[in-house]
Amino acid sequence: MTPVIVPPKGGRPRPGIAQLKRTLYFLSRNTLAIIGLAIVLFFVVVALFSLFSPLSNQSLQQYCSVTYGTNGTVGCQPVCTYDASSGPAPAANCYPTYSGNVGFVGPTVDLTHLTGGPLPLGSMQVSSGTNQYYYSIYDGLLKGSAWSLGIAATIVLSGASIGLVLGAIAGYRGGYTDEVIMRFTDIFLSIPGILLVLVIVASFAGYVQGLEGRMLLLVGAFIITWWPFYTRIVRGQVLVTREQKYVEASRASGAGTGRILTKHIIPNSLYPVFVQLSLDVGAIPLLLGGLIFLGFQIYPSPYFPEWGAMSANSVANLQSLIESCQFGACVFPWWQILFPGLTVFLFAISVNFLSDGLRDALDPRLRR
Amino acid sequence: MRMWVYVVRRILLLFPVIIGVMTITFAILSALPIQTHLIATFGASKIPYTPMVPCSDVGQPGNGQCRNPTYFQLVHQLGLDQPIWVQWAEYMKNSLTLNWGTVNYHSNAASAFSLTTSIPVTTVLGWYLPYTLELAALSLIIILAVALPLGNYSAVYRNRPIDQAARVMSFSGFALPGFLLATLVLFAAVILSGGATPTCNSNSTHYFDWYGSWPPFPQCANQPTWIGTYIQTSPTGFPTIDAILHGDWFLAGESVRRMLLPALVIAYGSVAGILRFVRNSMLEVLNLDFIRTARAKGVPETAVVSRHAGRNSLNVTVTVLGLTFAGFIGGFPIIEDVFYLHGVGLLLAKSIQPTQDFGLIFGTTLLFTIIVVVANILVDILYAYLDPRVRLG
Repeated sequence: MTPVIVPPKGGRPRPGIAQLKRTLYFLSRNTLAIIGLAIVLFFVVVALFSLFSPLSNQSLQQYCSVTYGTNGTVGCQPVCTYDASSGPAPAANCYPTYSGNVGFVGPTVDLTHLTGGPLPLGSMQVSSGTNQYYYSIYDGLLKGSAWSLGIAATIVLSGASIGLVLGAIAGYRGGYTDEVIMRFTDIFLSIPGILLVLVIVASFAGYVQGLEGRMLLLVGAFIITWWPFYTRIVRGQVLVTREQKYVEASRASGAGTGRILTKHIIPNSLYPVFVQLSLDVGAIPLLLGGLIFLGFQIYPSPYFPEWGAMSANSVANLQSLIESCQFGACVFPWWQILFPGLTVFLFAISVNFLSDGLRDALDPRLRR
Repeated sequence: MRMWVYVVRRILLLFPVIIGVMTITFAILSALPIQTHLIATFGASKIPYTPMVPCSDVGQPGNGQCRNPTYFQLVHQLGLDQPIWVQWAEYMKNSLTLNWGTVNYHSNAASAFSLTTSIPVTTVLGWYLPYTLELAALSLIIILAVALPLGNYSAVYRNRPIDQAARVMSFSGFALPGFLLATLVLFAAVILSGGATPTCNSNSTHYFDWYGSWPPFPQCANQPTWIGTYIQTSPTGFPTIDAILHGDWFLAGESVRRMLLPALVIAYGSVAGILRFVRNSMLEVLNLDFIRTARAKGVPETAVVSRHAGRNSLNVTVTVLGLTFAGFIGGFPIIEDVFYLHGVGLLLAKSIQPTQDFGLIFGTTLLFTIIVVVANILVDILYAYLDPRVRLG
């Protein structure tokens, strides 16, 4: 009969809990990491909230020009705008535009009713071919939070899972298995990352229709470029972990490969993965924005609500405005640049702070 | 293991990787519908590129559909009717012999750079790569000038205000979208330098002071003969060096000045990684025994930091710099797009957009891959040379 060890009440907690407590303690000492954590949590809450907001009932095609009726209904007619210099408002629910440009409705500080009234963060203009769409930046950012976080989390978690499995096998088995897996990884690592995404998306985007197909293609292309980094990180860590005494002890007491891998090797190789993972989540909206900025139609529609895309669209508008600016008329719709850009920036930098704090808290050598 | 055995082994291992990369590009290429290849090579056509076209032959066997002779002829011309392994072998042979095809004058890239005739892909890459190399070198110099002193300070004054400030500064550079910063910087530069005021004639404004790799020659001055039709320079191909060789100091300065803003934006965006490496390797070295010995024997603190620790922490930094530079050669599509610099990044970005130029896309991919792989080996060898404790194997 094996004796059951019951920890005394109020005594030492289990080692796993103790380590978690220690990590959280070191994390809480780091001000920047706490700020980062707070901002990330805020965005997660916003994303969850947006899933239940009335906007989520709108299909993406209808998203083009969301309007709010006086009785709280969400309509889909173009926002009614008028040129303030040429006369008074034609109707009650119309917004004055900026410099006579039909899409430019400035932000307002009147936050009395965020869901029906003046556009709280101003309007955003997107042109697709001959049509011009304009919608509320507030709505776009709200709805975009779910998309941005969802896409980033899917890519990073899938990449990390693949990398974790392959890296653990390669590092633990060694020999030919290691050689084959790592050469395969090297091949994918050698192709400049974003290039592979571009080539895959650009080559197949024309042949995949529909929202689901496009999203699958985009996420798949990113996962293909993303997993090798994790494989290499995990393998390096496993090579260190597998030589530890506790692994040897486990093997001596008769544990099989599967048990050693899942109970000892993988849990103890996880921390660099966490750090890299939290770092990469912030980079993905930036990358997506970059792709949109270069003119790749990675989304089914040009007015797709995703943070990176919104930021890139606003800046692309600005670029055409600079070109018009050289002949005199300079228009600077600062709110179109500021709000999406600030969102992407805040998300990326807070995730960076968090990851930096995690690195310090999880790596005992850096705690000193 | 002896050094040369290690080097030979690494070089031999290079071939499977390069062949693997080429196989992946080949797989992507051959997964595309045949029609895409035909449109990309021969341009859009009024007759659809389908095996069967409608005709008046109603009845047996086609029932209004006839074989399209053009389609089969063009498919045969491209070799797409061959078995897949024959196509693969052909692709490999062409890739390894640098026969990467010609620029497609139907493509977006050709029209963006007004390449009107079919020019070999390798030639075009040879024109644009030097521009990117100069930009990468300038960015790296700026990064080094910032990251080395700042990283060492951050390590010495760990978790003090200067360390935190450096961290916030470098992270914000990483988190700010490159396209946003670059466009705002360009906007600010245009307005600060005079906005819409004409510079040399009524059609040229200060916008063109910052836009493009060279001044707009047709409006302002005659284009010098050492700059060719497609903005390629001779004899070396490097714009600044060529300008100096021809004694044209104004254009040499102009070339550097036009690269300065993009280089600053790039440096700001990627200083975070190198700064972190400098700081961490410095931290590690500062905790070693010989530093304590140096302090104990009375070496002044500045000398300890700069001479004893600084030198030794450089090993890691050198290797990271090598890899960063290799990554930089991959071009900066976004930055080059905003400032319209004639680099490979912009070339690639244009060639991926429809109508695609497959020759350019896969030529560039191969080039970048080879550069990254070779840089990896060079960095490993350099690291082993710099730090004799490194175990080769």
